[in-house]
Amino acid sequence: MSADEKALPPPVPFLRAARAVFDLSLEEMVWSRKSLVMAGLLLMPVALAVLFRLVANLKHAPAGIDLYGLVVAMYYLRNALPLAALFFATALIADEVEGRTITYLLSRPVSRASILCGKFAAYVVTTLTLTLPGIVVCFFLLVTLRGFSGVAAFVPDLLRDLAVAALALCAYGALFTLLGVLLKRPTIPGLVFLVGWESLANLPGWLPRYTVTAWVRSLISHRPVDEGLAELFQTTLPAGEAVVVLVAITILGLAGAYGIFSRRQFVLDQ
Amino acid sequence: MPIYDQRYRRYEARNPLRELRFWPITREALKLVVARRAFLLLLVAAWIQFVARTIQVYVVTRFPDAGRVLPVDGRLFGEFLSGQLGFALLVSVFGGAGLIANDLRTGAILVYLSRPLTRVDYILGKLAALMSLNLFVTLAPALMLWIVAVSLAPEQFASLKLMWLPLAIVLHSLVISLAMGLMALAVSSLSKSARVAGLAFAGLFIGLEIARGVLRGMFRTPETGLISLQGNLHALGNALFGIQHRFFNQPWPLAALALVVMAALCLWVLRARVRAVEVVQ
Amino acid sequence: MIEFARASCWYGPVIALNDVSATIGPGVTGLLGPNGAGKSTFLKLAAGQLKPSQGEVKVLGAPAWGVPEVFHRVGLCPEPDAFWDGLSGWQFVTFLLRLSGFDDAEVNRRAEAALVEVDLLAAKDRRIGGYSKGMRQRVKLAQAIAHDPQVLLLDEPLTGMDPVNRHRVVELVKRLGREGRTIVMSSHVLYEVEAMTRNVLLVHQGRILAEGDVREIRDLLDEHPHAASVRARDPRRVARAVLDLPEVVSVEFGEGGDSVVVRTARPDAFYAALTEVAEEAGVYEVFSPDEDLESVFKYLLARRGGAR
Repeated sequence: MSADEKALPPPVPFLRAARAVFDLSLEEMVWSRKSLVMAGLLLMPVALAVLFRLVANLKHAPAGIDLYGLVVAMYYLRNALPLAALFFATALIADEVEGRTITYLLSRPVSRASILCGKFAAYVVTTLTLTLPGIVVCFFLLVTLRGFSGVAAFVPDLLRDLAVAALALCAYGALFTLLGVLLKRPTIPGLVFLVGWESLANLPGWLPRYTVTAWVRSLISHRPVDEGLAELFQTTLPAGEAVVVLVAITILGLAGAYGIFSRRQFVLDQ
Repeated sequence: MPIYDQRYRRYEARNPLRELRFWPITREALKLVVARRAFLLLLVAAWIQFVARTIQVYVVTRFPDAGRVLPVDGRLFGEFLSGQLGFALLVSVFGGAGLIANDLRTGAILVYLSRPLTRVDYILGKLAALMSLNLFVTLAPALMLWIVAVSLAPEQFASLKLMWLPLAIVLHSLVISLAMGLMALAVSSLSKSARVAGLAFAGLFIGLEIARGVLRGMFRTPETGLISLQGNLHALGNALFGIQHRFFNQPWPLAALALVVMAALCLWVLRARVRAVEVVQ
Repeated sequence: MIEFARASCWYGPVIALNDVSATIGPGVTGLLGPNGAGKSTFLKLAAGQLKPSQGEVKVLGAPAWGVPEVFHRVGLCPEPDAFWDGLSGWQFVTFLLRLSGFDDAEVNRRAEAALVEVDLLAAKDRRIGGYSKGMRQRVKLAQAIAHDPQVLLLDEPLTGMDPVNRHRVVELVKRLGREGRTIVMSSHVLYEVEAMTRNVLLVHQGRILAEGDVREIRDLLDEHPHAASVRARDPRRVARAVLDLPEVVSVEFGEGGDSVVVRTARPDAFYAALTEVAEEAGVYEVFSPDEDLESVFKYLLARRGGAR
């Protein structure tokens, strides 16, 4: 080891570096046009719920908790959250590569793990900020259709839904972060995964276990009427197992993403 | 030092603008997209349903009893085109997302608009490229399937009763391609990143459809389907091919009107966004 | 100190840098070469953005690839005009300083000093997206020098700058070099490099073609007959006027019949003679087709070929 090398100070501490990356990424995500599109997608149920309260004949309306369950299960967990994850998480590193700003991040004394974690944390905070308030507002708009009595009984459901939404965002986010560093063009494979592979959740046997959505939907209590094969075959998996699987997907997805990110020469992609 | 005349001089174009000015833009866009091997694979994959339906037609013509499970009539083509919508989405995302976004990012739009081309030519050129790709996964296999069906079962498909079929196929394919093309281009013009534009278009397409599902659960009326591009295309197809559908059953005139409104919105976005110069605040 | 030990780098089938060995010490070193010569690859390897396909690249004694600690002492001004456009100049520089591990007070102090150096303090709160090309170049330079690096890698830093700021940056780089930092600046413009340093590395087709004092290149240029193309109403009149000059090596008429290419070992004498005859012969254009870097390279390559 030469005198020059000995004199080098250690890299910037992990948390400090991750925090700096988190701050920048959050700023970029929150004020981007992309977030506006996602806000539209994730807050659409609020607009629909408001419309419903204004327009619908409440006497003949279905039970509020059923409508809320439909919004959470069909809209958020099955479709909107995976799409939001695909939208944001595949872009975490790809945006920097495409914008050629990755060079600035990779020419600083910080570990690549801190860059990835800072960005992933920004993704989680951004998507949770766009999602959780929407779910809470939908809950109160729909469950209180016929007044506030009995609402308290459903609050544990709400809390569980919020936790499941967070877990789903982490699991899908980690998977799509991996896809984003693995592939140069992750959009089409990501969409094929969501609309193709995830449909296995509606088939019988062990097939649902190979999807993320089956584990996610097993954690919530709502079972809305589906429009397709799910009506025939919808499988519910053990909740405890579901939590373990989703956490494992998150950890493995991020570890895989880090494995690729730490070795990849991004200059070559430019 | 010479001092030049500073007065206003009227510009007189020496040559009139060419006919079909958009064609070079279309050709270049198609060349770029088709050069990607993955895209070619996608285009090939889009014909899988054609193969499956051909087998269906063949089996039913040979074993008429099979027709009770897999009926072969005019509805077949409506269902076929509905099934191709997924590929139209993928083709529009893959082939259409970057059409304007990449030009905005690289500044190529300035190069285009500094030629004897108008903004309309530019948009037409890009739209024609995207429509061609969409027609390749809708019109081409559907017409081919009709030819196969007529050849295998002329007594059934060559009858006067079903002579409207090719017309319906052409009309529905054109509506699908135009609607998907316009929306994909409008979204593409809102971003400088093809990836973001692709995801935004897919998000919009799928998002509106899931919103339709939720609205339907809430209001339980078929008109809720009017907010979904996919729903409206299905509804129009169902009306054209005489299909009774459980979910996409909004009145077809309203569906057509909704599609016209969506197209107008997309044109408005394109008009606002397709400019040679962007002002940074 | 930057060391390349038989380093090669290829992008798929394309060899960008081929078996390069070089040691660059303190002071300013110009990396000269035509477009596509391998200058940027050289800098990317030194900046740890690329892993050498073969051989080794070390900066300050540590491998450039995979050792983030080294960036405490390395500043990189990349060539692409790329930024987080939503950020202001101030946010851009302070963010990157935070990533270098400084506390808030130090970040502010250093960011201000760096922006003063590149004359951007007044525009620090404007969004980079609204900066001119020259300002964007300068803010890139500010982030590269803000953490006071020992090694500075500048990839075509003068592109797009106006003469005043070009001069300012040249002076800044010269000063930093005099302070004992190792600075490598790439360019394909000879006079840009000449303005900053006399120490150059010539890169051509992925190889180091020559290294040494820039004056030696000038001498080579002087040895190499200077060619001038003259377009005139009466090119034969020009030819007659210069043919008597003893240093004129050859006179050749152009294809169109309105030009003459003169090769001379003493350009000053030739231009003096040309001035005298210019009006009479109706000279309307004079240019030197070979006083650019490419011709120097061609000449050096020819010499190398001859030496073999």
